[in-house]
Amino acid sequence: MANIFGIDLGTTNSLIAAMENGAPKVIAERDSGATLLPSVVAIAPDGAVTVGERAIELEPHLTVERDGRVSAVGFPGGEYGAVIRSVKRYMGLGGNEVAAEDRARYTFADLSGPVVRFQIGKRSFTPSQISAEILRALKERAESSLENEKVERVVITVPAYFNDGQRQATKDAGRLAGLEVIRLVNEPTAASLAYGLNKMATGNVAVYDFGGGTFDISILSIKEGIFEVLATNGDTHLGGDDIDNAIVDWLLSELPETVKRDRHVWNSARMAAEDAKKRLTEASETRIVVELPGHTVKKNLTRAALDEIAGPFVARTLNRCELALKDAKLSAREIDAIVLVGGSTRMPIVRKRVATMFQREPLCSIDPDQVVALGAAVQASVLMGTQGDMLLLDVVPLSLGIETMGGIMERLIHRNTTIPTSITEGFTTAVDNQTHVDVHVLQGERELAKDCRSLARFKLGPIQPQPAGVPRIDVAFLIDANGILNVNARDQRTGREHSIDVKPSYGLTDDEIERMLEEAIDLGEQDLEERLLISARNDAEQILGALQKQLGEFGNLVEAGERAQIVETAGRLEAARKGTDREFIAKLVEELNEITTPFAERIMDAAIKLALEKKSVEELA
Amino acid sequence: MERIYHELSRKVHPDRFASSAVAVRDASLRATALLTRSYRTLRDPIARGLYWLELHGEKLAENNKHVPPDLAELVFDVQEHLAELRDVVGNGDSFNKLATQVSEKRTEVQALMDEGLGELERNFARWDTSKAAQESMLKLELKAILSKIAYLRTLLRDVDRALEGSQAA
Repeated sequence: MANIFGIDLGTTNSLIAAMENGAPKVIAERDSGATLLPSVVAIAPDGAVTVGERAIELEPHLTVERDGRVSAVGFPGGEYGAVIRSVKRYMGLGGNEVAAEDRARYTFADLSGPVVRFQIGKRSFTPSQISAEILRALKERAESSLENEKVERVVITVPAYFNDGQRQATKDAGRLAGLEVIRLVNEPTAASLAYGLNKMATGNVAVYDFGGGTFDISILSIKEGIFEVLATNGDTHLGGDDIDNAIVDWLLSELPETVKRDRHVWNSARMAAEDAKKRLTEASETRIVVELPGHTVKKNLTRAALDEIAGPFVARTLNRCELALKDAKLSAREIDAIVLVGGSTRMPIVRKRVATMFQREPLCSIDPDQVVALGAAVQASVLMGTQGDMLLLDVVPLSLGIETMGGIMERLIHRNTTIPTSITEGFTTAVDNQTHVDVHVLQGERELAKDCRSLARFKLGPIQPQPAGVPRIDVAFLIDANGILNVNARDQRTGREHSIDVKPSYGLTDDEIERMLEEAIDLGEQDLEERLLISARNDAEQILGALQKQLGEFGNLVEAGERAQIVETAGRLEAARKGTDREFIAKLVEELNEITTPFAERIMDAAIKLALEKKSVEELA
Repeated sequence: MERIYHELSRKVHPDRFASSAVAVRDASLRATALLTRSYRTLRDPIARGLYWLELHGEKLAENNKHVPPDLAELVFDVQEHLAELRDVVGNGDSFNKLATQVSEKRTEVQALMDEGLGELERNFARWDTSKAAQESMLKLELKAILSKIAYLRTLLRDVDRALEGSQAA
């Protein structure tokens, strides 16, 4: 079975890691030895893509266009392309959710649609497509470093607070990069895996993740290899950038407002502020010099003064920690280990305040820039079955519900609920002979539907005309281990499955992804048809291999007639996969999946029964 | 219960079947979703009580907005304090004074809640030993206890929100 790799698809930097001799290790670029890949993508007018350091090198060509937008970059030949940074911030956003300051930063295509699109030359690109380029660069980096390995299956980390749309967009990016995303893992949860805390028999862990733009706190309980997330909390608008901006305010406090507001002045000051902040991690005092047109700002910043500037922001993170502890029903003293993640945790004041709150020194032996990717590699090995009994039980960060009468959000699944989880809700008609029921799915913590984020809308029906309240359709809302919602409907009277056409409020439809795959920016050497055939053959190989293993292991659970049918279909698939008709292969894979479903369910039932029987025997003994 | 939950999770969780056929992965997903839901229901005495009622053909809304008669006086008192508190948000001294009073009221509500939870446990225990004839009585009692608890829980949430909201302000 091919290796599964762990990927940290970060806002600023991205990394890829894998297990090496039982320990997670970040895979460095073969020639330079670099471990971090800057999450920067440059796209030339002809569609040529550059990722990472080389994309940054293209940035100084930044040109201000006539309408004042700073979107474009002059490539050799004088044409316009674009260099895109921090694409993660746009993942899963609808056009109307793009902030005004971002509108000034990039050129977007039509912003009325359900997906943000960057306009570059004559073409437009979704954030998933841009992220796919970063993933592809990581894949190439790992394949060239490891020589004999192919990167096909991956675990990708996402911020714990990512909503359904942002998670879906991340999965889409993987698909567009030609990767099978086996699992999305929350970043703080991944970080806790990196420290090998499973060796601790039982205990509670807090993961404090303070990055450039966001803050995240997760509380986990560890018991004999089971990592159970108890609560998460965070602030999507609180990070090291806020501290930098506060330093700039202090730095430029003597200058008139008009000068301060100048974009170039602000940018130079911001870079100087960030550098000074970093220097003060070691030094106790530093000199800041900002060269401005016609004026030079020179000031000394001490560690103590920086602590005062950063203090209020750190206090806000600690507030969030308290809320998370409350949700987890634990006190700060009951936390046995604190894991630090994110660049801002390098600041001495952050470490000091965290240590004071939890009355314990935080763990920081692993580079906070690498810890998430390393954890992703550990989770990848859990998925490969090479980590013994270790298992991660994560939670959904935001409540999920539906819109009810009067625009109220009715919560069906509360935040911090362990996933996978499902709930079945019965729907009926409000007036006689109604043939459809509209369902609006929401995510968020606010009382009113309009204040929550719209996830999807769908119509239940057609329903046979009957008096109001008589029809009953059960809708099952299932959140999978990735935190992504699946919806299924069943008419209770007829027992028939309703196929429902869920229209996501934001994000891409399957058809759109197919189309993007076809128009892939860089097709490489293989043509599309060939890649699709290989992918269909892989699916066939995978199901046949898995089936053989299960028939061997759980042969007693197959009924005689069923076995004959399975063997017959498997035989046909075996023959088909040697041919070149990919649609036929795909059809047989689906058929085989369908006829093995009852068998698969019996395997689960047997597993549960076995565990329960063993338990009752143990308890009797 | 936690031990069994963990053990069952190890058996059926989708992470155990990442390389299995799609049908097995789907079955594992459904089994785990059911498992986590069962655990959550059984672990929380209130959810467990509501589920037990449901099994006996009674459905009770989780957020009870009807004031149980014997709580009316206390509820009125607490709501009045909360309204006053909301009026003085941002006004340091009077706020702190009122917040202290509300915290005292909260203790009172919490004591009633604890009492209710105790009654709930005793009701559960009696189901184990009761005869079929007593069940309808136990069911009525369970319903009354749960309505009270559900109401108190909503009230406690309101109090906490009012106290928290003020901290932020």
